[in-house]
Amino acid sequence: MSNLENNEKILKIFSNIRCLNRDQLPRYLDGRLTDVEKHLVEQHLVDCDLCFDALQVLQQQQYREKYQPLCNSMQQYIRNSIKSVSHAHKAERYQRQEQKKESFLIYFWVVAAIAAGAGIIYLVQQQGKFKPPVTKALASNTEIAATPIDNPPVQEAVITPVRAEATDTVTRRPIAVAPAPVAVPANTAPAEPEPKPVTKDTVKATVKPPVTTLVNKDSVKKQPPPAPKPAEEKEAVKPPVEHKDTPSIAKKAEEKPTPKPVPKEKKEEEHKPAPEPSGGTDEFLYKAAMVYHQQGDLNEAISRYKHLSSSAGKYGELSRYQLAVCYRSKGQTGKARRMFKEVVRMNGSMKTKAQAALDNL
Amino acid sequence: MLQQLTNLSDKELISRARKLKDQEAEGILMERYSHLMVAVCLPYLNSGPATAPEEVYPSLLQRLSESLKTQTIPKANEWIHYTIRAAQARTANNSPFFPSTESRELQQLENNVEKAATNLKEQQLLAGRFTRALDKLTAEDSHFLREFYVNNKSFAELAETRKYSVVKTRQILQQAKQKMASLLMNETYE
Repeated sequence: MSNLENNEKILKIFSNIRCLNRDQLPRYLDGRLTDVEKHLVEQHLVDCDLCFDALQVLQQQQYREKYQPLCNSMQQYIRNSIKSVSHAHKAERYQRQEQKKESFLIYFWVVAAIAAGAGIIYLVQQQGKFKPPVTKALASNTEIAATPIDNPPVQEAVITPVRAEATDTVTRRPIAVAPAPVAVPANTAPAEPEPKPVTKDTVKATVKPPVTTLVNKDSVKKQPPPAPKPAEEKEAVKPPVEHKDTPSIAKKAEEKPTPKPVPKEKKEEEHKPAPEPSGGTDEFLYKAAMVYHQQGDLNEAISRYKHLSSSAGKYGELSRYQLAVCYRSKGQTGKARRMFKEVVRMNGSMKTKAQAALDNL
Repeated sequence: MLQQLTNLSDKELISRARKLKDQEAEGILMERYSHLMVAVCLPYLNSGPATAPEEVYPSLLQRLSESLKTQTIPKANEWIHYTIRAAQARTANNSPFFPSTESRELQQLENNVEKAATNLKEQQLLAGRFTRALDKLTAEDSHFLREFYVNNKSFAELAETRKYSVVKTRQILQQAKQKMASLLMNETYE
């Protein structure tokens, strides 16, 4: 044990002891420390010049009096400087945090604005892609609205913009060839139901592009040999026309059987003028007049039919027949009768039809 | 925060003040030694121009604060003592503080003792080395050291036995300790 104690005491030579604190310094001077405490202080004093010098100074009474107030003021000065510094530090930290927050907010809003801008651009682009069909649909809708109010709602429901878009190119052909079914009801139907099929046809026409485009189409069609194509097209058109007629009034059902022979006759008629070179322009004029007829513009149709009726051949006869139909539609039965008679006199393919119409008048 | 910092050692406070630029740690360190600074500077006050307490202490603190950022400080008391002496002597402001060789030797031995605090075998080894080094010292140095550290005699008692002043007694002890430290460090280098 004594050896251990001795070892500890020898090790004390190089033990590190803290400087005298604020409390120990005067107590050491006054001799108010315990033996152990005093020994520890003296162990430290062996090495520490600062503490030993301080003790040497404070042993003089003149400095001892000044020491305490100066010590307090020094402590206060350091504390104040720490406080101000720490406050400044805190303020700086707070400012930095606020700046960070602000910068984050700015970044956020910038990113949000960019995203919104990109979204708007994307939407605009997408709109641009879908605009043509939409506008077409809208245009068709407006046309529908512009059509006579007589149209029954059922018919409006049948003609949807989607259908107009989908069959944009395909349906144009049948429209151009549409005259055949229109002509047929005129033969058999009495005066009352006549306007209805006409309006129906006008609705169909409104869904399709305007006359000018049709004219172009027809001109395109002219390039190939005229006779066989329209015949084929007419055949293709027949079923949808019949379907469209079904929802209409019961009277139309009576008219149904009549349309069938007409296209056949027409086919025959169209086959005949095929070799004629002037038949192309007559056919075009006749179709243009038919379009006006379908659209309900009877006056324009009559003027065109009149112009065409002077020409000889199949289209002269057909145009006279249609002229008669137009007059009948307008209620000018005298003129209609005269025209039908002329058709009968011409002794052409439309003779029987004209005779039948004449009998009905 | 201040309460927590007061429990830290000088080394930790200096480290915080330097690395983290912690002004509070620096303030705590200054406050810890402020009473000693006041006492040491007392004879210097009002001894010439710009030596009023309102000027001396703030300038001293400023000087310490600046040197804290740049200088290596193994012992805060030595660094403060050096800075005060430099300020009082009005020497070149830029002369840096470097611990003396003796101081570094003492520092190393103190670290060894601190490391062996929980290891009895190392303590024994160190004690044996210290005893051998004591034996190599002069009789007076060895006597003073043994009386002071082993027999727990005070400065006054030691001074009385040899009729020396306390200052001289302390000086003899300091020098003897320094010689012993040099001997021990030379042993390790050999």
